[in-house]
Amino acid sequence: MQPRGKEQANFPGRPTSPFLAAPQSSTPFRSPGPVGGIEASGPSRATTPFVTSGPMTGLGASGSPQNMSPFLSSGPAIGTQPSSYRAPPPSMRSNGPSSPPTSSFSAQDASTYQQSQALGFPPAPMHPPPIGQPHMPPSGTFRPQSQIPVVPMGPPPQSSSQLTSRSNMPPSSGSVFSAPRTPPQPLLQGYSNVPQRANVPPFQPDSQFQASRPVSQPLMQVYPAAHVPPTHTSQYHAHQSLVPPPPPVGGPMGFSSREQLQHPLTGPPIGGVQGLIEEFQSLTVGSVPGALDPGVDTKSLPRPLNGAEEPTKILEVYPFNCHPRFMCLTTHAIPNSQSLLSRWHLPLGAVVHPLAEAPDGEEVPIVNFGPAGIIRCRRCRTYVNPYVTFTDAGRKWRCNLCSLLNDVPGEYYCALDATGRRCDLDQRPELSKGSVEFVASTEYMVRPPMPPLYFFLIDVSVSAVCSGLLEIVAKTIKSCLDDLPGFPRTQIGFITFDSTLHFHNLKSSLTQPQMLVVADLDDVFLPLPDDLLVNLSDSRHVVDAFLDSLPVMFQGTSNVESAFGPALKAAFMVMSQLGGKLLIFQSTLPSLGVGRLRLRGDDLRMYGTDKEHTLRLPEDPFYKQMAAEFTKNQIAVDIYAFSEKYSDIASLGSLAKYTGGQVYHYPSFQTAVHQEKLRYELARNLTRETAWEAVMRIRCGKGVRFTTYHGHFMLRSTDLLALPAVDCDKAFAMQLSLEETLMTTQTVYFQVALLYTSSSGERRIRVHTAAAPVVADLSEMYRQADTGAIVSLLGRLAIENSLSQKLEDARQSLQLKLVKSLKEYRNLYVVQHRLGGRLIFPESLKFLPLYVLSLCKSVALRGGYADALLDERCAAGYNMMILPISGMLKLIYPDLFRIDENLLKDFKDGQEPLRQLPLSAQSLDPKGVYVLDDGFNFIIWLGRMLSSDLLNNIVGVELASFPDLSRVVLCQHDNEISKRLMRILKELRARDPSSYQSCRLVRQGEQPRELSLFLTNLVEDQTAGSSGYVDWILQVFRQSQGS
Amino acid sequence: MAWELFLWLLAFAAAISLIGFSAYQLICLSDLEFDYINPYDLSSRINAVVVPEFMVQGTLCILFLLTWHWFPFLLMAPITYYHTKLYMKRKHLIDVTEIFRLLNEEKKYRIIKLAFYCSIFIIVIYRLVTTAVLLLMEDDYRTMESGIF
Repeated sequence: MQPRGKEQANFPGRPTSPFLAAPQSSTPFRSPGPVGGIEASGPSRATTPFVTSGPMTGLGASGSPQNMSPFLSSGPAIGTQPSSYRAPPPSMRSNGPSSPPTSSFSAQDASTYQQSQALGFPPAPMHPPPIGQPHMPPSGTFRPQSQIPVVPMGPPPQSSSQLTSRSNMPPSSGSVFSAPRTPPQPLLQGYSNVPQRANVPPFQPDSQFQASRPVSQPLMQVYPAAHVPPTHTSQYHAHQSLVPPPPPVGGPMGFSSREQLQHPLTGPPIGGVQGLIEEFQSLTVGSVPGALDPGVDTKSLPRPLNGAEEPTKILEVYPFNCHPRFMCLTTHAIPNSQSLLSRWHLPLGAVVHPLAEAPDGEEVPIVNFGPAGIIRCRRCRTYVNPYVTFTDAGRKWRCNLCSLLNDVPGEYYCALDATGRRCDLDQRPELSKGSVEFVASTEYMVRPPMPPLYFFLIDVSVSAVCSGLLEIVAKTIKSCLDDLPGFPRTQIGFITFDSTLHFHNLKSSLTQPQMLVVADLDDVFLPLPDDLLVNLSDSRHVVDAFLDSLPVMFQGTSNVESAFGPALKAAFMVMSQLGGKLLIFQSTLPSLGVGRLRLRGDDLRMYGTDKEHTLRLPEDPFYKQMAAEFTKNQIAVDIYAFSEKYSDIASLGSLAKYTGGQVYHYPSFQTAVHQEKLRYELARNLTRETAWEAVMRIRCGKGVRFTTYHGHFMLRSTDLLALPAVDCDKAFAMQLSLEETLMTTQTVYFQVALLYTSSSGERRIRVHTAAAPVVADLSEMYRQADTGAIVSLLGRLAIENSLSQKLEDARQSLQLKLVKSLKEYRNLYVVQHRLGGRLIFPESLKFLPLYVLSLCKSVALRGGYADALLDERCAAGYNMMILPISGMLKLIYPDLFRIDENLLKDFKDGQEPLRQLPLSAQSLDPKGVYVLDDGFNFIIWLGRMLSSDLLNNIVGVELASFPDLSRVVLCQHDNEISKRLMRILKELRARDPSSYQSCRLVRQGEQPRELSLFLTNLVEDQTAGSSGYVDWILQVFRQSQGS
Repeated sequence: MAWELFLWLLAFAAAISLIGFSAYQLICLSDLEFDYINPYDLSSRINAVVVPEFMVQGTLCILFLLTWHWFPFLLMAPITYYHTKLYMKRKHLIDVTEIFRLLNEEKKYRIIKLAFYCSIFIIVIYRLVTTAVLLLMEDDYRTMESGIF
C-alpha cells in the first residue's frame, strides 16, 4: 500500500500534484474551509460571512468550521512536504488561526448573532457564486434552447423565414455549448492554493492546532506519534466534528458548562454548531413531552433556514472531481470493510444528476477526439479522466479504476514534463476536469442518431374539453413549436381519443389536417402507414392549423369514455420505429378497451392491513408491459393527469416510471388556478435540452459495486440504466455495496457515463468522475456525510418501501435508520465524555432528524387514509423519485417567508432579502402575510388580523363580499402592493426553473382548507398521529440512548 | 401391473422435463446476471416455459392422486398449491421491469424447485425400477409356472 500511495502522490506531471497529493494523504480532512476561511481575498464565497461571525459564536478563536479547517489542512501539507514540492513559505496568514480567542460568549447575545447573519447571509446560498474560479469570457451563445420564452405566434411562418430566424442560433450544439472552452480552471486554482495551504504547517507547534489535528489522526500515519496530543482532547474534537479548537479555557472540562453549550446553538446551522447540540437532561427527568420545558429551546434546534448549501468543499480536496451537483455521495468516505459498513446505518450510495444545469461559465466542456476515438481503458472501459496517470514517457497510461496499463494512441501522445505530467494538460479538459462531454463516434451507435420526436396523446373526452384543458394544451404546444429542440429534424404527431381513436394526417402537402377515426378498440391498427408522424418544419402549417382547430373540433362533445389503452397501443405503433417522447394528457379514468382501470379507489378498510400497499401499485400488468415495450423502443412517457376524481395515478405512473418519464399531476384541474403552471411546465418539458435514447452506467473502482438503483429508468442489465429520454430535471440514486471484506485501495473512483443523442443529432457521452477516500474510521464517515444525498436516498427508499409495505412500516424503517445511526455515533463518543443526558450528532448530519421527520410528513408518506388522497400520494411518490437533491429538500421542508413588511415598504431596487422561517405555527403572526414555497406550489397565508386594506389590495376585490378564497386567483392588480407581491413571487419562482409554483390563498382559521393546504406543511408542529420537532428529537434521543 | 410401469415411465418423463424446465430458467437467469441476454429476451424465454411447467407438474400430481399413490402425491401437493396460487394472483410470469430487483429471489425460488424436482426424480426412478423388476420377476414367475421349463 505504501509504495502505491507514494506513486500516486508523486502523480507525475500534474500542475497540481502537491494538491493532488493532498487527497491521497489528507483524505480524512475536510480541508474545504481553508480556502474560504483563510483566503480573505477569495472571490465572494458564501462562506466568507462566517469568518466574521466566527468569534461571535463564542467557541473561541474560530467559531466556524470554515475557520477551523485551515488547521486541518495542515495534514495534507505535511503529507506533501517530504516530496518537497514546495517548502512552506513563511507564514503570512496568521490571522485565521491566531486571532485571539474570544472567550466572551455571553457578551454576544444570540439574537444579534442571528440577525447579523440573516442580514449578511441569505442571498448567498441561493445563488452560489462561481466557486473560486476566475470569470470566464462571457459566452454569448449559451444554450439558446434552454430558455423558455413563450414565443408569440406570428403569422404562419414559412419555412424559409423560419430558417433565417433560426440560423443565428449555432446549428450544431457543439458550438452551442462549447464557447467557453476555457483553460482548466481547477488547475489555476490549484496553483494559487498551494502556497496558502502549504503555509499552514508553521503553525503546527501551536497547541491549538495540535488539538485540532487529532481529528484526522486515526487515519493518518503520516504524523509522527509525538505530535499526538493526549487522546482525550483529541477525541473531544473529533466528536465535535470540526468544531474549532476551543479557547484555552474550554478543555474537556469546560464542556459541561451550559453557557458554552447553549451558545453556539443559538446561532443557526452554519456557525459553530457542534456535534453536541442539545442538553436534554432536564427534559428526560420530567414533564410532559412536548411541553416547552425551559431545558429545550425550540429555537436552538438546527434548521436549514439558509437554503440548501451545496457541498462544494469536496472540490477543494479533490479538485478533479465533478461538481457535487452532478454526483453526490451520501458520505464522501468509503468504509474499508464490511464490518465498518455494517455500523453505518444510513444508506451508502450516491445521487447522480447527470444533466444538471450548470451556472453560466461552468458548462461541461465538449471534447472531440476525432478519428483517434475516445480513450478508454481496455479492460474496464473507463473513460480517460483527470485521475489517470501517464507513465513510460507518456506512452502508457494507467487506469485509475482497474490500474491496468493501457497504450496511449499515437494521436493522443504527448510528452511528459519533468514532473511527469503531460505538457498539453491545459488544452485537454478531459484531463483536468471532472465533467466532460465526449463526442462519440459511430461505434457508439446502433442506429443513426434519432431526431427529437414529440408525440402527443390527448384525451378529448368531455371533462378535458369542459375544463378548458384542451385549449390550454393546444395553445401551449403551438407556442412552443418554434422552440422545440433539434430543428429542422424534429418530428411531431398527435392522436386524440375518447371512446374512439382519432388519428391526424399532417402530411405537408395538405392544407388542412385530416382526421381519421378508428373505432375498433380490440384490434388497433394504423389507418395510414406514415404521415401520422411528420417532420415539423415541413408540415408546420398543417400542425399550426391542427392546433388551432383542436379545441374547436371537440367543443360539443359529450363523450365521457376514455379508450386509453388502445390509444397507447396506437401511439406505440406510430412511434416504435424512431422512439422519442410521448406526452399523454389524461383527464379521466381509462374506461374502454385493454388497460381499462377500475374505480378501485381509496379504500379505508385497506389501510393498516397487509394489502394496503397494493393500492399504490399498478393494478393492471398491461401498463408495466407497455412501459417495458416503450423503453425497448426508446420511447419516454410523460403523464399529465388532470382528473378531479380518482384516476389511478399508481397505474398510469408506472408508464413514466420505467421509461424515464415524469408524472405531472394537477388534481381537479381548474383553468384559473393551474393554467399558468401547466403552461410553464409543458413549455419547459418541450423546450428544455433533452438527451435522447440514453443509457447510463456507473463504473467504480475495485471492491465496491453499485447494487440497487432508484429513480425513473429501466435496468437493461445489472448496471446499465436505459433512459429513453433524460433531461436536466431528473436525478437518480443508487446504493453501493462492498464486494471485498477488506479494501486495500486508498481511494475509490466513480465514473458516471451517460451515452445519449443530443437534440442536434450528435451522439455524446457525458462523463463525470469523482474520487472518494477509503477510510477505516466511522467518525470520518460521519464527518464527510452529506445530509442532502442521504435524505434523497432515504426518501426514495421509503417510497419504494411504501410500494411493498404499509406506510406505517415505511416510516418506521426511516426512523429506525435515523435512530440506529445516531446511536452508533453516540457510542463513539458518549462514554469518554459522560454526555449521558444529551443527544449528540455529527455536525454534518445536524439537519437529518428534521429532514427525516419532514419525510415522514411528506405527502407521499404521511399519515393514512385521510391524510392525503391516494392519487396525490402516488403522484408525490413518483415525483420524489426523480427530484434532485435541492428540489427534494425544498419539497419536504418548504421555505416559509413573511412578506407583509416587504409588501408595505417600498424597496426600490434593493429588495430586502426574505428571511426563511421555521415551519411551525409559532412563526406565524396573525398580523402577517406568509408565503410557503415547496417548489411546486405557493400557499399564501393571510393572518386573521391582517388589515383589510392590505388584504383587499392583494386579492383585488372586497374580501368581505367574496368569502371563498379557493376561487380567488392571484393576479396583478393595479396597486403597489399587488405589484410587489407579484414581484416577490416572481423572484421566488426564478430560483428554480424546473417547475412553476401555482399560487393559492388561504386565510387563517379558514377550515378545512387551511389545515389541508397549509398547516400540514408545518412539519415542526404536532399533528394528529405525528410528533412535532421537539417531541421527535426527544423520541429519537430516547431511542438512541437505549442500548 | 403393466399400467403401473407405464405410469412410472410417464412420471419419469415428466420429472425429467420438469428438471429441464427449471434448469433452463436458471440458466437464463444467470445469463441475465452476466449480461449475456437482455431482460426482454429473458422474460420472453422464461415466460414461455412457465405455464408448460405448471401444467406438467399439475398433471403429474393429479395422476398420482388418481392412481392413489399417496406418497408422491403428498410430496407434490404443496408445490401444486403454490403454483395454483401464483397463477391465480397472476404472479407466475417474470416481470420484465422489476427483474433485476427480484433476480436473487427468482433464482432462489428456482433452485429450490430444481432441488425438489430432483428428489421427485429420484423417487420416480426408484419406483420405476422396482415396478419394472417386480414386473419382470412376475413374468419370469409366470413363464416358469406355465410349464415351459
